[in-house]
Amino acid sequence: MSLPFIDVASARPWPPRISAFTKPFWDALLDGRLVTTRGRTSGRLTFPPKPFCPHNWEREVEWVELSGRGKLYAQTVIHATPAAFRGEAPIRNGIIDLEEGLRVAARILGEPALDTSVECVVLRYTDGPLFAFRAALPAHRL
Amino acid sequence: MTRRVAVIGAAASPNGRLQMPPDAPLQTLEHEVLAPLVIEAMAIAGVPKEEVGALVFAMCRPYTLQKYFATFMANYLRLPLKGSIMEVLGNGMTGGMAFDQAINAVALGHADVALALGINMESQAASAEHAMSTMRATGDVDFHTIFGFTPIAWYAMDAVRYMHDFGAARTQLASVAVKNRRHARLNPIAQFRKPLSLQEVLAARPIVEPLGLFEVPPRGDGAVCLVVCAEEMAKATGNPYALVRGRGFFHDGTHQLSDVPNDMIAFSAAQRAAAAAYSAAGIGPGDLDLAELYAPCTIVEVLAGEALGLTPRGRGAAEAQAGETSLGGRIPICTSGGCLSRGHPAYVTGLLTIYELWEQLTHRAGERQVADARLAAGSCELGNYNAALIHILEAVA
Repeated sequence: MSLPFIDVASARPWPPRISAFTKPFWDALLDGRLVTTRGRTSGRLTFPPKPFCPHNWEREVEWVELSGRGKLYAQTVIHATPAAFRGEAPIRNGIIDLEEGLRVAARILGEPALDTSVECVVLRYTDGPLFAFRAALPAHRL
Repeated sequence: MTRRVAVIGAAASPNGRLQMPPDAPLQTLEHEVLAPLVIEAMAIAGVPKEEVGALVFAMCRPYTLQKYFATFMANYLRLPLKGSIMEVLGNGMTGGMAFDQAINAVALGHADVALALGINMESQAASAEHAMSTMRATGDVDFHTIFGFTPIAWYAMDAVRYMHDFGAARTQLASVAVKNRRHARLNPIAQFRKPLSLQEVLAARPIVEPLGLFEVPPRGDGAVCLVVCAEEMAKATGNPYALVRGRGFFHDGTHQLSDVPNDMIAFSAAQRAAAAAYSAAGIGPGDLDLAELYAPCTIVEVLAGEALGLTPRGRGAAEAQAGETSLGGRIPICTSGGCLSRGHPAYVTGLLTIYELWEQLTHRAGERQVADARLAAGSCELGNYNAALIHILEAVA
């Protein structure tokens, strides 16, 4: 099932570089999926995705799809932004603990409270995607 | 070969604006600020220039035009060296690493006297432009910087989590800034010496919520020179000195954020580094007379203080408000005024930490002197205390 999309009528303020290895992550995001890598032997996920498992250094990794659901661990609103982000200020960013046991940092939409359920959404900027999290819709509405 | 090492001299510039606008007819040159501090610190140390065998510099900010600043300074000061010369970079830990490497040069016998020194010039760079550089220093450029995180944004998230986990009040956090300003008012090299009230801290414009202007570090310039030497040489001078009693370091193997969920505000690297430093010194946190912590924001002082065992877990902010960490309190923290009010010329902040400990332990701290100060701890860190470097110093008179 695809993550929800939100269109943003501007380019990303400071776009990521894309390598041959990370391209599948960004392509999947544009396709509505949040993915990362998992070590085949260790079975451990890591984020950002890596061409090896950082826990046991095995080079055999596989791409896996994440639920995009988790809990908000921390957040802040950045008023004093770097120059490139002035157009988006103030910015709410946060830290999310995903259901799969991974901690990620991202843009936060709305004002969810700490420890409440959040879900990943794809921000479709004019030049490419970013990911964000917002308060999760109640299960009966999914 | 290893031997005991002491700090026997120190000098520091006032903190604040040293750098001149690019179009000003008269400029402030880094070497013209730093060289007099070297001469002053060496005069206090009371050892001849010829004894200096190693120079360890905190790396300069990119705004300093002179490259290879270390060897440029060796020439400016006409200092032949038998030990080593280097510029170190360790993120926020840079100044502390310079001190650490100077200690090593002496402990290993590469030099009998080593200088740990540096100058941080950045005040002419506008904050939003400076942040375009520092945003790339904390987190992953391609997976975190893309959202606009700044270094202090991570500390702000610590504050949010701390208030959530322990029910700490905003006023308790803010009281750290008020306490540090009271300390800075007694420090001649402090950047900010005007009174600051709790109301002013709470009413300040937000920078990274919940932290406002007075709870985040000011931008500024500063310069420091520390003289370290073998203890037998320190003894021979007959002057009071600060003996390095212990050192602890730990890096938790993460850069800003652990993708394996952890208790982010436990500052576990600082706990590990502190345990190592206390063990090396044969003391516990209760034996300390003061501590100078690397704490760019109010929340960081609270969390680092807890991690070093100076205040109980979850009680650091409350104890700050109760005066326990003030001058005259149970364990004075950041008697210099700390990053918030003494100033935070980031690459030399770790050197300023040792400068304050040296002033306190040689009883040169004037109105902010901690009575009978004998044992003191200094910390520095990088990231969100992903790494910590802690030194324990002891007064010897």
